[in-house]
Amino acid sequence: MRKILNLILLTITLGLIVTACGGNNTANTAKPESSAADEPAANEPVKNEKLIIYTNANSDGRGEWLIEQAKAAGFEIELVGAGGADATARLIAEKSNPVADVVFGLNNMLYESLKKENVLVKYVPAWAGEVEEGLNDPEGYYHGLVKQAILLGYNPTSYTAETAPKDWTDLYNNPEFHGKYEAPTLLGQVTPRLVVAGILTRYRDEKGEYGISQAGWDEIKKLYDNGVGAIEGEDFYANLASGKTPLGTVVSGTLDAKEEQYGVKAGTVSPEVGVPMIVEQAAIINGTKKMETAERFIEWIGSSEVQGKFAAQFNSMPANTKAVAQANDAVRELYSSLKAQALEWGFIADHIGDWVEKIELQIMK
Amino acid sequence: MITFKDIQIKFGDFHAIKNLNLNIKKGEFFTFLGPSGCGKTTILRSLVGFIKPSSGQILLSDRDITDVSIENRGISMVFQSYALFPTLNVYENIAFGLRVKKISKSEIDREVRDIAQKVDLKEAQLSKKVSELSGGQQQRVAIARALVLKPSILALDEPLSNLDAQLRVQLRNELKNLQKKFGITTIYVTHDQEEALTLSDRIAVFNNGIVEQVGTPQEIYNRSQSEFVCNFIGDINKIDAEVIQNSQLKNFIDPYKTAYIRNEKVSLSALPQHKDVVQLKGKIVDQEFYGLYTKYLIEVAGGGCLKTIEKDNGFDDNKVGDEIDFYINANDILQY
Amino acid sequence: MKATKIRTAGSPVNGSAFILYGLIAWFVITFLIYPNINVYYEIFFSDGNFSFEAVNKLLSSDRAMRSLYNSFILAISLMVTVNIVGVALVLIVDYFDIKGAKILRLGYFTTLIYSGVVLVSGYKFVYGESGYMTKLFANLFPSFDTTWFHGYWAVLFVMTFACTSNHVLFLSNAIRKIDFQTVEAAKNMGGSTFYILWRVVLPVLKPTMFALTILLFLTGLAATSAPLILGGTEFQTITPMILTFSKSLASRDLAALLALILGLSTLVLLTIMIRFEKNGNFISVSKVKSVLVKQKINSKIGNIAVHLIAYFLFLIYIIPVLLIVIFSFTDAQSISTATLNISRFTFDNYIQVFSSMAAFKPYLVSILYAAGASIAVVALALTASRILHKYKNKWTNFLEYSLLIPWMLPSTLIAIGLIVTYSTPKMLIGNTVLVGTVWMLFLAYVIIHIPFTLRMVKASFFSLDNNLEDAAKNLGAKPFYTFRKVLLPIILPSTLAVLALNFNGILADYDLTVFLYHPLYQPLGIVIKNSTDAQAVADTKALTLVYSVILMIISAVILYFVYGRKSKS
Repeated sequence: MRKILNLILLTITLGLIVTACGGNNTANTAKPESSAADEPAANEPVKNEKLIIYTNANSDGRGEWLIEQAKAAGFEIELVGAGGADATARLIAEKSNPVADVVFGLNNMLYESLKKENVLVKYVPAWAGEVEEGLNDPEGYYHGLVKQAILLGYNPTSYTAETAPKDWTDLYNNPEFHGKYEAPTLLGQVTPRLVVAGILTRYRDEKGEYGISQAGWDEIKKLYDNGVGAIEGEDFYANLASGKTPLGTVVSGTLDAKEEQYGVKAGTVSPEVGVPMIVEQAAIINGTKKMETAERFIEWIGSSEVQGKFAAQFNSMPANTKAVAQANDAVRELYSSLKAQALEWGFIADHIGDWVEKIELQIMK
Repeated sequence: MITFKDIQIKFGDFHAIKNLNLNIKKGEFFTFLGPSGCGKTTILRSLVGFIKPSSGQILLSDRDITDVSIENRGISMVFQSYALFPTLNVYENIAFGLRVKKISKSEIDREVRDIAQKVDLKEAQLSKKVSELSGGQQQRVAIARALVLKPSILALDEPLSNLDAQLRVQLRNELKNLQKKFGITTIYVTHDQEEALTLSDRIAVFNNGIVEQVGTPQEIYNRSQSEFVCNFIGDINKIDAEVIQNSQLKNFIDPYKTAYIRNEKVSLSALPQHKDVVQLKGKIVDQEFYGLYTKYLIEVAGGGCLKTIEKDNGFDDNKVGDEIDFYINANDILQY
Repeated sequence: MKATKIRTAGSPVNGSAFILYGLIAWFVITFLIYPNINVYYEIFFSDGNFSFEAVNKLLSSDRAMRSLYNSFILAISLMVTVNIVGVALVLIVDYFDIKGAKILRLGYFTTLIYSGVVLVSGYKFVYGESGYMTKLFANLFPSFDTTWFHGYWAVLFVMTFACTSNHVLFLSNAIRKIDFQTVEAAKNMGGSTFYILWRVVLPVLKPTMFALTILLFLTGLAATSAPLILGGTEFQTITPMILTFSKSLASRDLAALLALILGLSTLVLLTIMIRFEKNGNFISVSKVKSVLVKQKINSKIGNIAVHLIAYFLFLIYIIPVLLIVIFSFTDAQSISTATLNISRFTFDNYIQVFSSMAAFKPYLVSILYAAGASIAVVALALTASRILHKYKNKWTNFLEYSLLIPWMLPSTLIAIGLIVTYSTPKMLIGNTVLVGTVWMLFLAYVIIHIPFTLRMVKASFFSLDNNLEDAAKNLGAKPFYTFRKVLLPIILPSTLAVLALNFNGILADYDLTVFLYHPLYQPLGIVIKNSTDAQAVADTKALTLVYSVILMIISAVILYFVYGRKSKS
């Protein structure tokens, strides 16, 4: 007993010392590390330091695959996975002491926020021209990798292509669908935000509240009034499959896996106005000490070769037109029937926070 | 050996000790006696070092220890609750102070066993948890723990107050014997006058932050210098005005003072004829049998009551209802 | 009061103590006061002048007002219901002579090993739309509404049973310290079992219950998972809204304002409770305490009733845990429909978790963080408690209230405060940048666990006999030696319990961690969330349960080491 006690005491004392001197210790330990990484590199002709890369697209084996491929191409990378909104928040928080060198994944809206916060550095890779038009940042800060469509899905036993809604607006304008669809209530996440943006941006009005006309707000109110709230921790696809809530948002890239899990293949809707097409992008972090390596990595990851391989492996839809050929047939077919909704990401990024706040406070019940 | 010089202790507006001057001799068993809240524990704690006096000096063998830290005063204290360390066993409790001094293990062991034997703690008890001991044994541990450091002074704060009556008497004697055996200067705090009288070489009676009287038990008892002291020590009669008015006592008593007489000084048997002896009449109205003696309540003829005690002589010659004569030596009357 | 002053006078402050006090002061200013003031300043004054816009926004929002109202209703309801259930549990396990009390205790302890979304989903397996109870009711009464389990009552039900952890730990400690002679005395005077309970036993538990009630109020205000999942549209609370707002730059002022409202109401309650505590604290007067003997319930009917209640509660507690474990071996389909089918049993989930997480690192990172931070926070709380115990003046009052600051802010705002403040070099921390270092998360874990730890450690500190310290001092021991050898061993059991609770709380934390973790040292909570994110396409439902089961096992092991062994001895 006494030994245990002494041990605990020792640790407590150490803990105290550590807490007390935390600030100083950090200074002492952090510095040699970074300088050690810097100095020898300065003498070498080709810089090839380990890159720290933030992404939200590393789950389901994508991360492991990429690390392996990168290694084969001579890159040493460390992937830091986080949800899109969280990764963005981190990057902004760390902007005066950046940890990351490169960010990929996320979506245009989040990249717009990053750009606005001065987190990104301008770099136009050689493959920028191969990317489908309108997907890259025209200012050259970020460039497209993978396309994801945010779709309105339906349960195929409850509805047919004919009886299903034709657009998001049908959900609340047609009483038949009232109470049958999931309203995008979990506004902390990115996808529900994009659904909202997809509807609101149709009612742009510089004089309206937060750039949206009153008609737009009325529409959004109807969307929330007539839908079923999403529930934290529940997988919407389960409700779609069981028919409990047969209509709602699905993300294109996950459809196959969900179908496999729940045994139901959701039907998808192609509205005339198009669907919010989010594009995973790649960019270099402002303040990286490994600029040269980061540039080479961006060149590599966005190349049609890598994106093609990736698409074949993970059923994704590449943004790089030269890589599309290697994508899965079903995926290509899906995307050929889809039209990208024209969205101005900068405008959305500027206003989405206010929109969410207004919806949370005044529109949702 | 110990000198308190003009000591004042204040807690905010409260004067716990008002200008105390006191000398305690080497080897003395000295008692601070008084009711609760009189300042006796406060002065003890200031001697041990837990309280710094607001003004004045404490001298120990002519050395000023007022600002000396607790551990450097060489005074060991036994607490009212004993304050034994519940997570340490008996041995560890006794060894605690030695460990602090970084004495070698073997020497600690020798000292601990030695003192344990002296205070009559059995070998088997050393490995016990303190919570497994009886109250008396706990007290022995507390004393052993204090004495093992060979202090020049032992300070005891009501160490017997947690014990039952029989054990108190028994341990009182042990305490006295121990003190004699070690010859150690002992300061003893109590509110129990019997304890004070039986144990002490000298007593200081405290009241409201001042010392009313310092003296031997006999002096304190027989020649109480204040009304408070005479009331606090022993059972005493306050002589009612009627009793004085209706008897010769009025010749001896200053009418502007309050008169007292100890119970045992009211005698049922005749005292030798003397100009100072006053005879009174009365009736026994109540009696309490204590074994060694009997206490009687006498209703004095003409009004007033007095208590007296008589040694039990086996004849049972005084009963409730008896009309009796009784005697008082006017020199035994205390007037304040 | 008198005693504290005496002590002040008697303890000269030495050099090393000064350094220690200096360090505490530095910590409080640097990590509790400055960042939080800074974040409020940035939020409300960033454009140079204060605006009331946030207040207007909130006042004009029915939803915000209703959510706020609901949060208070929930907090107040929980103060009542959890105390009732918690006291019942403690009586069953520690006071009454109930057959099988040891097994019952295990059941009642389950809340210590899981919480949040996982716990609520466990209850949904039982009472949710396709849960077992619901199916049973639906069979018995064909007209039974299967969507019955939502709204205020559902949230209250789940949270009432989920929030008894502190009761089973700390209240049972208190009940074991009851002087049994008082119970015997009451019996001797003819008190019935329940009369004695009411008049003799419960009053002794009152101080502990006061302390726990403050925690309940906080828990109620901060409720997230249960209202989100079970509240339905009619019973949403404010904390999820605060979380959403605090993550969005545009709405941080609202988050901060809402947090301020909750914080101030907590402060009011805390002040009231501290006052109550001061007036109502009583120490057992008996000198010779005797050990509590479990009470047989004399009335036969009463005895049967209490046994029935005991086992009924046991079932309420144990079934959700069992279902989580069982369902972790199934797939998403089974989980979302709450049906068990032997053909759908699989070990794939576990294989997947352990193969993709072959890297043991996240576990190691989380365990190190949890251990380091929980030990540091306990050390800090011990030091602070000792100061609070030794001195009583305006500085210690200031210290005590400062250390309670983290209770008044949601952890996300504390995280933001740290980020905003320490993303640039600051003099206070030797001109270094904390953002992007491993210390950031460590500090945050320490900070948010200070108030709870302090409350608990302080309580045990103040129950110590002052004479022990004096005695040790008199025997020549230096303060630190006294602390180490005499005081700490006495308060160690309750301190270790707090340590274990903190450890388990940190282990799987996500909300705070996500803001601050070092990218190269990802804790478990982050890894779990990432691999079970909506973005991920694997069987995320099942994986979540697998991770939960693993966390439950780690937590249970920790608790066993701290608690199981102690209760045996």
